[in-house]
Amino acid sequence: MFSSLVLECTRSQAIGQPPVGGPAQIQPPQIQPAQIQPAPPEPAPEVLEAQKQRIEAMRVAAQATVGVFGVDGQGGGSGVCITPDGYVLTNFHVSSPFGHRMRCGLNDGKMYEAVVAGIDPTGDLAVIKMFGRDDFPVAKIGDSDRVRVGQWCFAAGNPFVLATNLQPTVTYGLISGVRRYQYPAGTILEYSDCIQTDAAINPGNSGGPLFNAQGELIGINGRCSFEKRGRVNVGVGYAISIRQAMNFFWHLRSGRVLDHATLGFTVATDTKGKVTVSNILESSDAYRRGLRYGDEILRLDDRQIGTTNQLKNVTGIFPPQWRVALRFRNETDTIDTAIRLQNLHLPIELEEIVKGESSEEPKAPPKSPQEEPEEKSDAEEPAPGDPPQGKGLRKKEGPARKEKDTLKDALADRYETKRGFSNYYFNRVELDRIVGLQKSRNQWPKSEEAWVLAGTVVGETTNVQIRVTDSSLGFALGDKPESVDAKRGWTPWIQQQSLVSLAFAIRTWQQWHQSGPRMMGEAIYVGRSPLVGRAGLFDTTRITLGEVDAVVYTAPETGTIECIELFTDNQSDPAEIYFEKVQQNNGKEIPERIRLAYGLETRLVVDVVRSEWEPAAVIESGKEKGGD
Amino acid sequence: MKLCVPIFLAVTIAVVLANGPLPSLARGPLDACEKVEPTSAPSDSDSIGADPLRGDPLHNNAAIKVDGALDTAAIADTKVPLEETDLEVLLGRAERSVVKLYGAGGARGLESYQSGVVIGDGSLILTSWSTVLDVDKVRVVTFDGRRLDAEIAGVDPQCELALLRVPNSGLLGFELDPQNIAKIGQRVFAITNLFGIAAGNEACSSQKGVVMAMSPLTTRKGAMKTLYQGRVIVVDVMTNNPGATGGALIDLSGRLVGIVGKELRDEQAGIWLNYALPMDVVKNSVDRILSGQANMAAANTQAVPQPHRLNDLGMALIPDVIPKTPAFIDWIREDSIAARSGLKSNDLILLVNDSRVDSRKGLERILSTINRGDSFAVLVQRGQELIKIQVRP
Repeated sequence: MFSSLVLECTRSQAIGQPPVGGPAQIQPPQIQPAQIQPAPPEPAPEVLEAQKQRIEAMRVAAQATVGVFGVDGQGGGSGVCITPDGYVLTNFHVSSPFGHRMRCGLNDGKMYEAVVAGIDPTGDLAVIKMFGRDDFPVAKIGDSDRVRVGQWCFAAGNPFVLATNLQPTVTYGLISGVRRYQYPAGTILEYSDCIQTDAAINPGNSGGPLFNAQGELIGINGRCSFEKRGRVNVGVGYAISIRQAMNFFWHLRSGRVLDHATLGFTVATDTKGKVTVSNILESSDAYRRGLRYGDEILRLDDRQIGTTNQLKNVTGIFPPQWRVALRFRNETDTIDTAIRLQNLHLPIELEEIVKGESSEEPKAPPKSPQEEPEEKSDAEEPAPGDPPQGKGLRKKEGPARKEKDTLKDALADRYETKRGFSNYYFNRVELDRIVGLQKSRNQWPKSEEAWVLAGTVVGETTNVQIRVTDSSLGFALGDKPESVDAKRGWTPWIQQQSLVSLAFAIRTWQQWHQSGPRMMGEAIYVGRSPLVGRAGLFDTTRITLGEVDAVVYTAPETGTIECIELFTDNQSDPAEIYFEKVQQNNGKEIPERIRLAYGLETRLVVDVVRSEWEPAAVIESGKEKGGD
Repeated sequence: MKLCVPIFLAVTIAVVLANGPLPSLARGPLDACEKVEPTSAPSDSDSIGADPLRGDPLHNNAAIKVDGALDTAAIADTKVPLEETDLEVLLGRAERSVVKLYGAGGARGLESYQSGVVIGDGSLILTSWSTVLDVDKVRVVTFDGRRLDAEIAGVDPQCELALLRVPNSGLLGFELDPQNIAKIGQRVFAITNLFGIAAGNEACSSQKGVVMAMSPLTTRKGAMKTLYQGRVIVVDVMTNNPGATGGALIDLSGRLVGIVGKELRDEQAGIWLNYALPMDVVKNSVDRILSGQANMAAANTQAVPQPHRLNDLGMALIPDVIPKTPAFIDWIREDSIAARSGLKSNDLILLVNDSRVDSRKGLERILSTINRGDSFAVLVQRGQELIKIQVRP
């Protein structure tokens, strides 16, 4: 019956005709006084006030709600706009049948051209970008961790592709459950830590927003339990938490095909809620942090773990490579640490998933029973991106058709293919942003000179000197000088967890500023990631420097380098170099306090007292030259 | 369809009900729930909201300190109290008195799970009588993840209800108030484990709804396959999904107003009915089950020297192939006691003298306590009908 309320609201907003044919279309009531309970003649003021607030929340929320259609207007799902420049969150299973191009309708009655940015097949998320405005209405991001059973909420979107007039359908409901875990279909479309609601979520609602009563975005609707009653809502819909979506948002903006994370160990649960490690990869970060077979998992992130589902719930909301707090107990101690999550799939596996989902014959989500009303029971199905009647249309669209569209496409220059990317164009956009930030604060000339940093070990009198040139790197701790080639031969030092890694980081810093990330090696914008000990998320760029991968974390507002991690492989700890104080010096950013850590353990903290440029030749002449 | 008029009525009244803040909660039966200290509460939900930075999804790493020294304990200490609405509190409490039940099934579209409502002092669980219960011990999983074994205390085939006994569950039960009759237009909430979504220490699912009608199922006789043909509360919410049967329907005060019924589909219209058994029916049924038990306990359960035997009665049951083979009559000898009493082949024997017949063996056991010369009453299910038959020797 609540949908009747929604219909009322829709009318009073005067945003066009109310959705028709919805699941609960209701005629004006014909009251037969004898049959109803005595009711107050006027609703209480609180009632009217609550109604007013709800109408306002829905009015605002509806503006950011997006109808997602194919370029020919066929098919249809939903989305929600979260940035003024037009980045839209939706489901992977909504965007994938459309390939890389789609059209988005807003309730201003206009259609906007859009392209896909990043996709996350495992988490069933995608980011698409609308073009044509820089003041798109955006949804206010809420806090999904505060969602509780018994709160009211509403979904907005394009169920059954009713929004042909581009006005979203709003359905009201109750939060039925929180922190639900819904098994993946195969290895993709896993819904972890999701929100369950009885607000009507139907085919076409997929990718659309779930709002709390205040109109704040708390989730992305994407899945329903249907079973034997056909593909219409039976009071159970699931939304991906907005926390998970925002964890992945910048990763999705990178235009990559994203993977999800695994812990590197599995667990077994006993009846008393004790969760113990039943298997652990020796190559995993968890193993390196001391976790062993039989240890009891107490907390992950900041959540108590009492069941396998809870562990999966927490794991599922983070991108791989993120570090997550872990508390575990072994025979003697309770240990708090942080573990780096690892990739769930191999790149080739992801490629196959994406190929299967979006190219050639666009097929329905896995296990889609189509429109058989009495299909065999499959408790959870991803709600399809478009309704049954859209399928026929979609099938006609083959790869050839898509190619043709690309040729005449106004947004053709906003789409670039590259292996591992859903749209490489967006990676360039983000890298440009990072470079722009760097350039705005740094004027490092191309120089033949050697950069010399001299300082002392914090808390000691030991002197440290680092000299970097284009050919060699010098590192001297006290009276123990070391010299390494500037381009190669770093791996053994890093794997032996040497302090010389400090020089590699300084060299990376220098190159980042002198030539920029693109000239250093293959540079990929990863997204935003957390750093141990720092609040917030940092832009993350991965650069292949010969045999070493440098991961550079920069502050989102200033572009200042916060940390450089140097990876030799995925089986050993990277060198982590944190730049804890940075000074502006003649148009250059110079690190003032540098900390080197391996596997969370600080090895050296240096206060820089002097930063100079010396003619490189003078330095080189006095030293044994490595290589070349 | 007959139910349409009440839908319209419900809408009008529900608009009023739904808009307003909750009326002051008479926290009668649920108050006691506060005393329940979960042994291992679903505490992840308790500890969330601790980190003030968590409000901003882009700043969610504050829990990690330098060198990975994580002070999760500190997080728990700096809890920001959540302002819970009355409804959150209400449902949070009521959820604790609804349990997840697991038993037989799992094949051919038959679920092996359903819901149950803890009643009274917490040692009884009320649920639907279904094939899920065709096991020796029904597995009960409580809101806090504890797994208990329940045995069937008794069944009421007419209402398709069953009572399970769980000693020392530590759970607090709903009061069964036969006066608490649902009214059309009333706001209700269903708490069930529909689709078996909740597992372990996860809470059952809550759904909002409105009472659309109070209507006897008999009017639908023929269209709906149901043994129970009395009055039901019809709700506007899709409550009666797989696994939801046996769950609670509560009102805005947190009091029980109904027990969610089995899945029921109108064969002609293809429409699924969402309904619950009203409290007066439930209370009567529970009383019947409990008194039936008492009768049984009081009655001589000792075997008598000259009992009834199936062969002497002139009937045979289907072969005893599984541990709990249902007491289906395979054939009836012509002109036998059974035939004269009106028993037929394919009848399923449910009750003998108000004692539940849980299996073929159970029937033989009960018959062994009845003197050959005494008559006895049986309740059989024939198709979708329940028929009482007096067997006279």
